[in-house]
Amino acid sequence: MKFLLTISLRNLLRQKRRNIFLGSAMAFGVMILITANSFSHGVSDIMFNKLIVYMTGHVGITFNEGTGRRIPIFRDKERILKVIQNNIKKDEIADVDEAIGMFCRAIGNGKADNVVVVGIDMSKQVSEELEKEYMESFNVVEGSYDDLARDDIENPVLLSRQKAESLNVKRNDVIRIRFQNVYGQDMAARAVVVGLMANDNLFMQGVLFVELKNIKKMMGYRPQECGNIQIILKNPVRDAVKTADRLHEALNPGPAFIAGTVRGAAKAGVTILPFMADNDSKRIMRESFKLASGRLDDVLAKDGVMIGRRLAGLIGAYPGSKISISFKPRFADKDASFTCKVNGIFTGPPDEEEKLIYMHESLFYKYFYSNLPDIIKDKDKAYIPPDDSPFSKALGTEWVLLDRTATTDDATKKEAQIAKKKIKAMTMDVNTMYETASDVLKLEGVLNLVTLIAVLILFFIIVLGVINTLRMSIRERTREIGTIRAIGMQKRDVRSIFILETVSLTFFASICGVVLAFIVMELLSLIKFNVVDNPMGILLLNQRLHFLPTISGIIFNILFIILIAAATAYFPSRRAAAMSAADALRHYE
Amino acid sequence: MDIIDIKGLVKNYPLGETTVHALRGVDLTIQEGEFMSIVGPSGSGKTTLLNIIGCIDFATEGSVKVHETEITALTDREVTDLRLHKIGFIFQTFNLIPVLDVIENVEFPLLLMKNQSKGEIRKRADKLIDEVGLSEYAEHRPAELSGGQRQRVAIARALVTNPDIVLADEPTANLDSVTGAQILELMKKMNEIEKTTFIFSTHDEHVLKYAQKIVKIKDGRIER
Ligand SMILES: Nc1ncnc2c1ncn2[C@@H]1O[C@H](COP(=O)(O)OP(=O)(O)O)[C@@H](O)[C@H]1O
Ligand SMILES: [Mg+2]
Repeated sequence: MKFLLTISLRNLLRQKRRNIFLGSAMAFGVMILITANSFSHGVSDIMFNKLIVYMTGHVGITFNEGTGRRIPIFRDKERILKVIQNNIKKDEIADVDEAIGMFCRAIGNGKADNVVVVGIDMSKQVSEELEKEYMESFNVVEGSYDDLARDDIENPVLLSRQKAESLNVKRNDVIRIRFQNVYGQDMAARAVVVGLMANDNLFMQGVLFVELKNIKKMMGYRPQECGNIQIILKNPVRDAVKTADRLHEALNPGPAFIAGTVRGAAKAGVTILPFMADNDSKRIMRESFKLASGRLDDVLAKDGVMIGRRLAGLIGAYPGSKISISFKPRFADKDASFTCKVNGIFTGPPDEEEKLIYMHESLFYKYFYSNLPDIIKDKDKAYIPPDDSPFSKALGTEWVLLDRTATTDDATKKEAQIAKKKIKAMTMDVNTMYETASDVLKLEGVLNLVTLIAVLILFFIIVLGVINTLRMSIRERTREIGTIRAIGMQKRDVRSIFILETVSLTFFASICGVVLAFIVMELLSLIKFNVVDNPMGILLLNQRLHFLPTISGIIFNILFIILIAAATAYFPSRRAAAMSAADALRHYE
Repeated sequence: MDIIDIKGLVKNYPLGETTVHALRGVDLTIQEGEFMSIVGPSGSGKTTLLNIIGCIDFATEGSVKVHETEITALTDREVTDLRLHKIGFIFQTFNLIPVLDVIENVEFPLLLMKNQSKGEIRKRADKLIDEVGLSEYAEHRPAELSGGQRQRVAIARALVTNPDIVLADEPTANLDSVTGAQILELMKKMNEIEKTTFIFSTHDEHVLKYAQKIVKIKDGRIER
């Protein structure tokens, strides 16, 4: 084998000009391939680790409460954070953020403009590395980033120089902003400019940054509540879907109930359960509900409740009478209370007759979410019918967890279906960048196309070049082939000589190509692009092209190329080896 | 003992619409140790006959036995092996491998045999190169040698495997008469030292004085 390799290598040197030509073409192709690959990898890196991080996170948990106006709110922030903590490994997670932003009309000094206000959590501990990255991307040139966290200034705000110009404000000036809070109320607030940023990130130029707790207050969130959650992973491509699936499982809701006290003629402990208003649930209720008094259609109406017969007796209630209910919310010291009308009285097992009140979900969730009860603590107090009771399927849950989807298309379909269902409870969705940021990820497809084109170019160079070069070599060396066959070399070895020749040439050319690629990448990343309003600007990192070559990628590429070359060389080599020795020896040129 | 036994050998080459009858019924036996010449004008079928004896071409009709083995019955792999171990070739145009130097050219068939150590191979090749008088040129490439020197290398290469028979197709045709004579004398000497059977073809009546036995061929037939 070594001796075949020696012959191959010496033959390579023999036809220097031709092989240098083919080798250069191959090296050029490899250079394009490695460069394209590294670029594509670099852009992926920007997408996954820079853009998506700012836009949607790698995994998101989104909330929608209310029927008409969908409010992105979860009433128990601690609970959701705990689920995240318990279900994602510490070393897989880079950051958890509350994504809160709002569209506003901003009025500066005699000038107004539309802006987006985004919250930054300044209270969070971040790694030095990340801190540095933030500093670089904010690039505050006047004032200070840290002033955002100050309490002695009213809503400190950071904005780009471009925005400052369009609002005609300077540092320490006041901007008035008008917006709607999460409940749809029109609001106004004052914000004081504490710093100006000089950056060319398209996404940051239209944004006013304020401290998270300030924006939450402006938008009507209470301290224990949170907006949509964004999770940033260390290895998003590997972990995003897995993590979302795990969170989805952990976020399966329990039954919704309010455990409180009812007051009529007398006082009694009760559990209020919501029944759902969709057609399936209503049918279940109609089929299995036994009424002592009242008509079922009235009973299922939104304006009142159904109480058990024993309970009605206990507190002296009858259809049409008013009862008052109070309970202890989780996040308030004072009891919450409301009154409602009795629409009907049902019969059933003694426990149910004595302890249950059924309430239409439209009514129920209003009370439930605005004064969230302490579900976990109250579980022991409450009476919840067993799972196999006839209408447990018609009862509402803490929230409705939407099915996981894989793509944006599926997610859109899901949303349309959900909208039709008119769900009264809060809906919760666990999603990944593949659903939320697919537009950005589509770029990856484009980049793969670029790489594919590079591969095709290389493929043609190799196929045409190798076949042509080998054909010439074989024709020139026909008599030599005849000689070595006559002397006693087996066909297989003759074939190997030619294949080895091609493979070694390809190998050396690949090495040169890799070196060239590194030079080209180095040179290309010296160029500074000044794109301000071109969407292609997102492909840049610090105004420069971002190449990210990987060793495994390079090795894979080289092996792939050598494989193509060997496969291409196989057929001409086999033909050369199969020539009749006698004919080959008679060959004169 | 008969080393080669040929009976009723016919070789036809298809050539477009027609057929070239290169050999039209040849009977021939060759004994071990002979130094034999096949003589005939150009186109008479010498090369064809030698190629068939050397197992690099095959008969259209008739029987060719090398050491009692009918060669037409063998696979390509077996025939290749037979050539490697039993037959040496010397060509009119020398046919050395240009990328190998003299010693490597001579070692080449031994390397193909894969049954000897590097040292043994080198020793054997050195010996042969010494016998053909080219020790000084062992590390030269063929392109740096004269025609006569190249043919000496070819002789050494043909003999290095210690074959039963060496076939030389017009070994002197590309050499001047003095060098040609030296080559034939060398072959004769090797025939005596190594006891190897030699068959050489020629169209030159002058070189026949070296032959021990002469077979004349014309238009694909042996002339008695
Ligand atoms: N491959 C071939 N195809 C067609 N004709 C051939 C082929 N090889 C040899 N011949 C013909 O066979 C005859 C004998 O050729 P050859 O054995 O080379 O003669 P010599 O070696 O005596 O000159 C010639 O007429 C030659 O043209
Ligand atoms: Mg001839």
